[in-house]
Amino acid sequence: MPSTPAKGAAATAALSKSNKPTPSPQPAQPPSLSPPPSDEKPQPPLRPVQTKPTQLARTARHALPALQAALFLARFRALVADPVAEMSMTLPVTAALQVTYALACLPVAGSSGGKGGDEAAAAGAGAGKKTATATATATAMPARLGSGKRKAAAAADGGMRKGATTAVLSLLLSALVTPFLYITMILFGAPFLTHGSHTLLCAAHMAVLALFPLFFVRGVDGRAWAALGGFAAPLDDTFGGLVGAVVGAWLGAVPIPLDWDRDWQRWPVTILAGLYAGYLLGRVVGGTVAWGKKF
Amino acid sequence: MTSRRGCNGFLSSVLLLVANLLIPAAILVFATGFFPYKPLLPGLATFDAVTEYGEPPEAKFDKIVFMVIDALRSDFVYAKGSGFQFTQSLIRNGAALPFTAHATSPTVTMPRLKAITTGSIPSFLDVVLNLDEGDESSSLASQDTWLAQMKAKNTGKLVMYGDDTWLKLFPDTFDRADGTSSFFVSDFTEVDNNVTRHIAGELKRDDWNTMVLHYLGLDHIGHKGGPRSPRMVVKQREMDGIIRQIYTAMESEDHLQSTLLVFCGDHGMNDAGNHGASSAGETSPALVFLSPKLRALSSGLPSPLPEREDFQYYSTVEQSDLAPTLAALLGFPVPKNNLGALIPEFLPFWPDPRDQVQLLMRNARQILDIVVAAFGREILESESDRDTLTESRAAYQDLAHGWKNVTGLLGQVSNGEAAPVLIPAVAKWLRNAQDVLSSMASNYDMSRLLLGQAIAVVAFLTAVKTLAMLADDKRLAFVPLSGVIAAYGIMMFASSYVEEEQHFWYWATTAWFAYTGIRGLKRGHQSPRAQVVSTALLLLVMRIVRSWNQTGQKFAGEPDIVKMYLHTNPALLWCLIAAAYIWVHMNLVFGLNSLPIWLSFAAATALVLAAFTFKVAFTLEDAPELVTGFARGMLEMNFSKHAPLITRAHTVFIGLGILAAVVLAFILLRRSVSWSQSGVATLFTLYTLLALTQSRPTNIPLFLLYSIQYRLLASPPTEHSRRRPMDDLSPVELSTLILLLQHAAFFAQGGSNSVASVDLSSAYNGVASFNVAVVGVLTFVGNWAGSIWWSWAGWLMMMERCSSPRAPRPYEATDAAPARETLGRMPREEEKEEEEEEARKRQASAWKRHVAVLTVFAAGGVAAVMAACTVLRTHLFIWTVFSPKYLYCAAWSLGQHLVVNVGVGGLVYWLRAREHAENGWITGCAGKGF
Repeated sequence: MPSTPAKGAAATAALSKSNKPTPSPQPAQPPSLSPPPSDEKPQPPLRPVQTKPTQLARTARHALPALQAALFLARFRALVADPVAEMSMTLPVTAALQVTYALACLPVAGSSGGKGGDEAAAAGAGAGKKTATATATATAMPARLGSGKRKAAAAADGGMRKGATTAVLSLLLSALVTPFLYITMILFGAPFLTHGSHTLLCAAHMAVLALFPLFFVRGVDGRAWAALGGFAAPLDDTFGGLVGAVVGAWLGAVPIPLDWDRDWQRWPVTILAGLYAGYLLGRVVGGTVAWGKKF
Repeated sequence: MTSRRGCNGFLSSVLLLVANLLIPAAILVFATGFFPYKPLLPGLATFDAVTEYGEPPEAKFDKIVFMVIDALRSDFVYAKGSGFQFTQSLIRNGAALPFTAHATSPTVTMPRLKAITTGSIPSFLDVVLNLDEGDESSSLASQDTWLAQMKAKNTGKLVMYGDDTWLKLFPDTFDRADGTSSFFVSDFTEVDNNVTRHIAGELKRDDWNTMVLHYLGLDHIGHKGGPRSPRMVVKQREMDGIIRQIYTAMESEDHLQSTLLVFCGDHGMNDAGNHGASSAGETSPALVFLSPKLRALSSGLPSPLPEREDFQYYSTVEQSDLAPTLAALLGFPVPKNNLGALIPEFLPFWPDPRDQVQLLMRNARQILDIVVAAFGREILESESDRDTLTESRAAYQDLAHGWKNVTGLLGQVSNGEAAPVLIPAVAKWLRNAQDVLSSMASNYDMSRLLLGQAIAVVAFLTAVKTLAMLADDKRLAFVPLSGVIAAYGIMMFASSYVEEEQHFWYWATTAWFAYTGIRGLKRGHQSPRAQVVSTALLLLVMRIVRSWNQTGQKFAGEPDIVKMYLHTNPALLWCLIAAAYIWVHMNLVFGLNSLPIWLSFAAATALVLAAFTFKVAFTLEDAPELVTGFARGMLEMNFSKHAPLITRAHTVFIGLGILAAVVLAFILLRRSVSWSQSGVATLFTLYTLLALTQSRPTNIPLFLLYSIQYRLLASPPTEHSRRRPMDDLSPVELSTLILLLQHAAFFAQGGSNSVASVDLSSAYNGVASFNVAVVGVLTFVGNWAGSIWWSWAGWLMMMERCSSPRAPRPYEATDAAPARETLGRMPREEEKEEEEEEARKRQASAWKRHVAVLTVFAAGGVAAVMAACTVLRTHLFIWTVFSPKYLYCAAWSLGQHLVVNVGVGGLVYWLRAREHAENGWITGCAGKGF
């Protein structure tokens, strides 16, 4: 899918900020994993991510968090018994669930899904078919509104491939930022000289849970990440998940000093529990009642 | 806005004053209800009072040598590797009878001595009185003790050598005495030689029946070097030698034939060498009875024993059991307020079972008197319905029933048959009575508790109202403060959070830095990179600070930076310490730079050098293993090589005093002591030097770390970053940050809510003779050094913000309206006066707001701690966790809040305002220097 630099730049700019009242479908482009050009115009605020309006996406959006929570609870005993083994074992599972979630529900970085905010805000949560069409067509290269079914199918196919590429790249990015999350956890008081693998695995879980979806929908758009880092982005599934994960992991430290001497009070079980609970809650709340709201 | 504040200015000042006056009132009222003096049975017990058991059995001894070795933990005597070789040989051959004597919390000397001598369990108030050496109200002169009984026997004089706590507890009791002050903690030898030099002479004389010896050296070694200090075994051998000396005299001297030697620890120590709380190490001192006569009781016990984690060697008895046991052995009636039970191991001394029964019955009868005094005689007579009784009454009822059983059995003992049944029955009853009476909730004065509580709540509400009147911050700015107060209030009800309070402050402070960092990114006043770097550095320093000293209860002995890197690497430690002193030196020269350069340099150098050499010399006494290499060389080179510590400390304090006076004089005469910063900032530098002087050497590098944080928060704008992190904080947020940092710093220095963690090592710097006020101030500064440092830093940050002429309220700047670049812009002449007036008002209201925020927290904290102490007054941990917390809470609110934050803070504000009146606001109040 070639696109001229000019087109790419325009699309990238549009991806994260489009200030037009109603977004017009943009030419498709490869997953935007390149930083935005430096000569930017004054930019409008970031828009919340709209999940795909397909039936599959709607189901997955609610089923997956429930599944993830159920899995976590089911494996809790094993986690308490041997945190390192269990966390390494569940990491691929969590990653697989997140990839499924991303492919099924989230718009790929660089597609127009990330900027469907205005319409959605106008039309409410069930912005429905109009956006659906827009999303589907947006991914087909030269397509315009009102294309035929075949084209839409081809677009979906291409979208799937692109989604898979983006998912792989996002996973890689999540792996790359894990050491930084590890350092952040140390700064927040994680043991420094002991429990290295515990903390690292916990950081990996955090990366896969909270950051992977953001990489998937935002790519490495510096401005978007600056907004996310400053908690200035509007709430949606992905950003809600990040906020929930951070706050949940932080609150997870609360029970540790209690003198109950339970096995689950050991590092990092409570942090991981807080992380999962916070992430899932943040994702659900961010995607529903708090959608589009800002801090 | 300004006019509203103008109208309310007076009212808010009054309310603020009221709130701050109510805080000490609440603390005082609550304390009088919470720590009541226990009712005591007056008078001395006599044998004549109880006649129904016949003539008392004969005494086995007529003289006693009672030797207290402070902090003698059980394993020091009994375990392998102990220096008590001779004692262990006596244990093996039966001439020494060893016990582990359980000491109840608070495990500090004065309450322990009360327990040992009266047999009762002293109230928690004695901890306070233990520190307050000048107090005489804790005297036992009017109470029934075994010392009083020995004196009443009139068979000889009472002599006492050692810790002068005895002389305070027993005024006019001893005929010959030589007391040593127990607070020169770094003295390991003199205190003990002072005792030992009297022994040989006393052993030759036969005019005494009681000799009390109290050795302090071992406790001092524990405080300094912990139980595994290399000096510990040496000291144990020395003590063992003294026991050998006395024991040999008992064997050889005729007049000592019937002498009992008892030696014991008043309390133990934890793994850090401290005591006061209730860990196994602290509550398990050794107790050994020695006499050749004891061979009749025992053919010897195995010794030494392998080390035990729980410190329980041989039989465990209560410390209060000593009183009735000595009563039996020396033949005097059991002291009236005793809650101890005769140690059963000694019963075989009296072959006649009737004597054994009588001894136990007299002990039981005496305890029954206490039950009756506490509960009324009807408890013995009524067969009242159990169901109507409250739980504690049920326990008493059990005692009453048990007593009936015992008296029933006693009827049959005259024919000698029931003795084998009766003796265990009475012994069991005694243990039961002891448990019930000692776990009995003390007599709280509920009305006072509630009154104190109510006053605290009123203070809190007043402070909240004041803050609402004064502060015009956005609502969001109050969220962190409210969160901190609410979380702190809830925490006070959970014993583990009280014990591990440091985690809360570290956790909250870290989150705070992250929160403000993220918010800074959002506001975008700085480049994201600068924002991320400064936030990351703040977090990194915070992370190092929090792992500097492992504190709390559960993991107090875990590795930390001090143990892992500084103790093992003294060269590194001294490099850091030297860096801290050099840093102070540079700041001091800078802060005095309106003096001639040679003068400011000479003054700063002389003072800093004096302070540094004092620190080296002090550490050489205090922890010689830390003084190596160049630090030792430094001392050798120093011309004042032979100066005593006290002189060195005096030099430092006097030097600090002179410089502070000079700075104050400059300010009061409306001159600048420094061209580049305010005089108040110079005073801050002088305080830093005082803080270094009063801190443990291993804590000194912490001040470098604090300083880095302070620079990150408050260093003046540069071309790279126009704004300082503190500019992004609203006034309430800045005060909240100071609150967080004050608390975090207290715990980072190794502080906790345990009495054991009070650091007394610097309490006697320059003190030649005990003076409550001086020692109190030095102790407070020593333990709160970091917190006070952050108070200063807070004042300077606050004043700095107000001093920039016509600065916009930076915290009000929003994303839409970036701050105007006015920092450092000089106003035009005609505007100046108006602006000065404006700035002064800003300054005044900023200070009041700051105090209001701190008052809200202080009052809220006091109210929460009181509520926890009231609700949990029957909790198992009330005396070990919640009461110490109450004392700490009092120290925080009276010392740190009222004296430092409000008192000293007010003075600093006043000085700054005065300075300003003449010189105008010099920007760079926080110091551009270093």
